[in-house]
Amino acid sequence: MSQADDMDGSADGDRVLVAEYVLGLLDAAEHQRMARRIADDPGLAAEQRLWRLRLSSLDNEFAEVTAPQSVMARLQNRLFGSTAASGGLVGWWNSLALWRGLAAGGLAVAVAAIGLNLLQPRVDVDSVATQLVAALQANEGSGVEFVAFYDSSTKAVRLLGLEGQQLAEKDYELWYIKGDEPAVSMGVIPVDKRTSIALDADAQSKFGEGTVLAVTLEQKGGSPTGKAQGPIVAVGKAMPI
Amino acid sequence: MVSNTTADIADLIARCALRDRKAFADLYQRTSAKLFGVSLRILKDRAEAEEALQEVYVKIWQRADRYVAGGYSPISWLVAVARNHALDILRARKPMTDDIDAALDVADAGPDPEQAALDKGERSRIDGCLAELEQAKADAVRGAYLDGFSYEELAARHNVPLNTMRTWLRRSLIKLRECLTA
Repeated sequence: MSQADDMDGSADGDRVLVAEYVLGLLDAAEHQRMARRIADDPGLAAEQRLWRLRLSSLDNEFAEVTAPQSVMARLQNRLFGSTAASGGLVGWWNSLALWRGLAAGGLAVAVAAIGLNLLQPRVDVDSVATQLVAALQANEGSGVEFVAFYDSSTKAVRLLGLEGQQLAEKDYELWYIKGDEPAVSMGVIPVDKRTSIALDADAQSKFGEGTVLAVTLEQKGGSPTGKAQGPIVAVGKAMPI
Repeated sequence: MVSNTTADIADLIARCALRDRKAFADLYQRTSAKLFGVSLRILKDRAEAEEALQEVYVKIWQRADRYVAGGYSPISWLVAVARNHALDILRARKPMTDDIDAALDVADAGPDPEQAALDKGERSRIDGCLAELEQAKADAVRGAYLDGFSYEELAARHNVPLNTMRTWLRRSLIKLRECLTA
């Protein structure tokens, strides 16, 4: 665009520049310069919204054309294909691959493979530590998965995120549900590192086989009401090991 | 045909922000023909449009949390992602010498009844305002928006010198804005 223009600098000049920006008429350098100006100037940003909104009424003139199947296949592969687990000899608790396998393949096999006290005979519950594991699997394809491990001798739940991404402006919150009782919050949890959550006496008394653990997506800092408000992204039942 | 209500599409975008892969697959199934149409019409090259479509959905997956309901319809938001991506490609490959008249043969879109009903207010407004411009000038605005034509291409298509086209279009945009905000 020529800078020697009678409209430069005037309000109309800027308005036209924004319209040209939205239409895509500016060259690369001018386009970038305008993008920066719009980012810095709420007036220009409002002007941009006006043009975008008004011009978007023309969108139904774009004809639909079916894309070849191969595009979706490549897309899926690119976005979700390589969820290769990071292996390494870092101990079973640190092994994402192991826990992914556990979550995906059912509990028994993996638990046996770890060699925990599976073959010990059941004895009086009070005389021995209760160990529970729950695989919190993705709900409706949310892509969020956790494994939770509870040991009554440490009075804590250890938690490991297997899949899922931290989202801006959102937090994951962990809940336990005993029977028909309402869900009780165990607090906000990180998705990208291991956590340990200490249980109070009330929670300890309620943790047992069949206790359900669920993760919901909540506003930053967790649900302000003490009740889950967001969607359940992962859910699983505690089982003894 | 799958029914695409605005609320459905907005919901699918929101679920993509929650990393819901099934919602993403649904969203693709329902909207990819539209966005492929956008990429194809602006890029005018099938292989390039396929590549662009893939990039566009990667962006949609990554930026789904930035879609703000209200204001912009969800399908318009998706179209804007596709359109802007195609225009970025055009800008990057300038100066272009392509023979634009060798453009591919895409039938003009018939009106989509649902979208038409939805947009009726805005739609009649921009149509009415474009109708107030001379036909050639209205066509130039449409050509820039829908086909991604540059000033050079518009000047060639309308058989006027480049500077004349610039002056035309800028004056038309001022008039159009007055009408649209009246």
